[in-house]
Amino acid sequence: VTTLAIYSNKGGVGKTAAAVNLSYLAARTGIKTLLCDLDPQSSATYYFRVKPKLKSGAKGLIRGGQQVFKSVKGTDYENLDLLPADFSLRNLDIAFNKLKRPPKRLRKILAPFKDAYDLILLDCPVTISILAENIFNAADYTLVPLIPTTLSVRTHRQLLSFCKKKDFDVGRIYTFFSMVDRHKKMHRELIAAAPNLFPGVLPNFIPYLAQIEKMGIQREPVVVFSPGSAASKSYQELWDKVQKNILSNLINKTYSVIV
Amino acid sequence: MNDPIKFNLTGEFDQKRFMGELGDQYRIKKEPVKTETIRIYDTFDWRLFNKSLVLYQCAGRLCLRKLSESEMLHSVPITSNPVFIWEFPNSKLKDQLTPIIGVRALLKLVEIQSRFRSYGLLDQEGKTVVRLAYEEIRSSRSKDAPVLAAQVRLLPVKGYPKHSQKIGRRFEQAGLRVNTEDDIYFKGLKAAGKKPGSYSSKVNIRLDPDMRADEAAKIILRFLLQVIRVNAANIEKDLDTEFIHDFRVAVRRTRSALGQIRYVFPSKTADRFKKDFAFVGKLSNELRDLDVYLLKADGYKAKIAPVLRKDIQALFDYLRQKRSMAFQKVVRGLKSERYAKIIKDWETFLNMPLPDSPVAAANAEFPITILARKKIYKKYRRVVQTGRQILENSDDKMLHVLRIHCKKLRYVMEFFTSLFPPEKMDNLIEQLKRLQDNLGDFNDLRVQEAYLLTIARELPVNRGQSEKIFLAIGSLVGALGRDRQMLKDAFAQTFANFASPENKALFKDLFAVQPSRSKP
Repeated sequence: VTTLAIYSNKGGVGKTAAAVNLSYLAARTGIKTLLCDLDPQSSATYYFRVKPKLKSGAKGLIRGGQQVFKSVKGTDYENLDLLPADFSLRNLDIAFNKLKRPPKRLRKILAPFKDAYDLILLDCPVTISILAENIFNAADYTLVPLIPTTLSVRTHRQLLSFCKKKDFDVGRIYTFFSMVDRHKKMHRELIAAAPNLFPGVLPNFIPYLAQIEKMGIQREPVVVFSPGSAASKSYQELWDKVQKNILSNLINKTYSVIV
Repeated sequence: MNDPIKFNLTGEFDQKRFMGELGDQYRIKKEPVKTETIRIYDTFDWRLFNKSLVLYQCAGRLCLRKLSESEMLHSVPITSNPVFIWEFPNSKLKDQLTPIIGVRALLKLVEIQSRFRSYGLLDQEGKTVVRLAYEEIRSSRSKDAPVLAAQVRLLPVKGYPKHSQKIGRRFEQAGLRVNTEDDIYFKGLKAAGKKPGSYSSKVNIRLDPDMRADEAAKIILRFLLQVIRVNAANIEKDLDTEFIHDFRVAVRRTRSALGQIRYVFPSKTADRFKKDFAFVGKLSNELRDLDVYLLKADGYKAKIAPVLRKDIQALFDYLRQKRSMAFQKVVRGLKSERYAKIIKDWETFLNMPLPDSPVAAANAEFPITILARKKIYKKYRRVVQTGRQILENSDDKMLHVLRIHCKKLRYVMEFFTSLFPPEKMDNLIEQLKRLQDNLGDFNDLRVQEAYLLTIARELPVNRGQSEKIFLAIGSLVGALGRDRQMLKDAFAQTFANFASPENKALFKDLFAVQPSRSKP
């Protein structure tokens, strides 16, 4: 199994929209996928029309073991399951801190899923605390959506230096631009400059589009309710890139050349 | 827990009313009617059926499940009909089937049509919590085709077990029964007039211990003739290399039976057919050799230095050309008058009533069990004796002689298996097989090395590539030589295992006709 975290230390950048659409697209190619909604705001859970409820709440999750399987819900799409969020996840930070070896706990919690799925996607809350360390320890790769603004770039640099300090492999962190407005000069310039500023920049970007916001009304991935839209195409292109650049091992192993 | 549950639909069940009642509790999402073609595959010798597996193609995917179970083991997307396992996309399905299917081609057994409509039952959030699929399976697209099955599948959604349990209970209250037993596999095959497991190349005959030897021999030979016939009829289609292989084995067994179950038929007859079947066997010698080389092509490539792997391709291209000529030769041979006459005369002879007593052939009226014992024990002792000689003075030619003795022993043991305790026979045959594998592999390598050196002389080569192809062949010959030495080194131990005191006692116990008595 490969674990991919969709993470940002800045809010409102299109994390959940990316997580929901990428997990759907992965599942559609035949990859057994689990999306874990770690965000107490439970937006991903809402998009899939599932009630935000974990068996025994955050406590049950932290306890780990086979019990977590009982919380998993099948989505309306083949090969895609969801570990729903729960409001009690808001205290996940504090709960992790009380444990022995806190930064590795999430990895342990996810361990039972490793035989049942090919890909685990983590939809992460905004954090740069002990929970962030847990995420970096649990994930094989991290994908960071970035709005092309100076402030975002600054935040991303903060993240990279945090990771270096904590000895996480910065080479496993990838970024793509999100909520891009091509009419804005700064967006265009930053997108062009980004590959020189830090490593791991994917060339794709997700434009700022009303279709994506409609996911809240439709409660489906945009790729499902509006498959021909520009929004869907940009997610499809992003998924193709993620599959090729980041998840190539996984794909080769399980579903290579379709003859 | 999340496996689909099938219920058989009955005439009394009112689907419309049932769904209407469910509408009081769920929002129902009705999908359009769909039709799918389901194609079921197996090898000619039923390798999947023998392992209780069902391989089928449906909606662009190849799926594997257990017979009489609806849970899918693996599935993989495909874009063309499956034939050989090595052409499958890499997947768990491929990993599981590779050792079972081997080099055999998959054949389409039957095609059935499923016409179904799915319903999603949604909760207040609009989330699907259970799916239902009403399905009608027919043997063809035509509306008049008989319905093989009418059923409703209840598909639980993970994380919503209470809903599926509730719907399951309601089906039962409405008088439907869960279908656990009958598999559409059997119904589909029956509709196509196919009988699962109806062919096997293994000698599978029951003999009566007190039977006259000539009668028993005819039973064995009639079985082998059937195998020869079935395979010969399929060789021309060139579906895979195993038809020719099974054909050859049956011919070889026929010759072996004629030679080893001696003096049961008039010697003139036996001699004539021995010669005839030697001719039939020779027809395909070259083809079989070439098949073996081509099947091993990937293995050979792996044995030589990576820089030369590309260069050896020219050799396999050439062998493939030769193969297609050899194949045509076999097809012509099987269509020849001589072949037709051999088979016809042979069948006439096998179907002739047994001659009345006294019979001129010395062993004809002997009880078969005694003859079988004598033969097996004699062959066993010959194997042990030859093996011992090799241990003292290992000579490649003697290894070949031993291989032939082992083969003869194996054939007689297989012909007469039904006369002896099956477990003991299986055990001894298994041990003999291990020795045969060692000897067979050794011999194959010896023949292949010699063949490569011969073929190198006739290989047409372009300028520029010539040196490299010879280097590649040389490198391969070297690798095969090393493998051969390894097998030779392993011979002593393999033989010792077979010739162990335990086996000796077993052979003696089962087959020695006169138990040795202590001298007075």
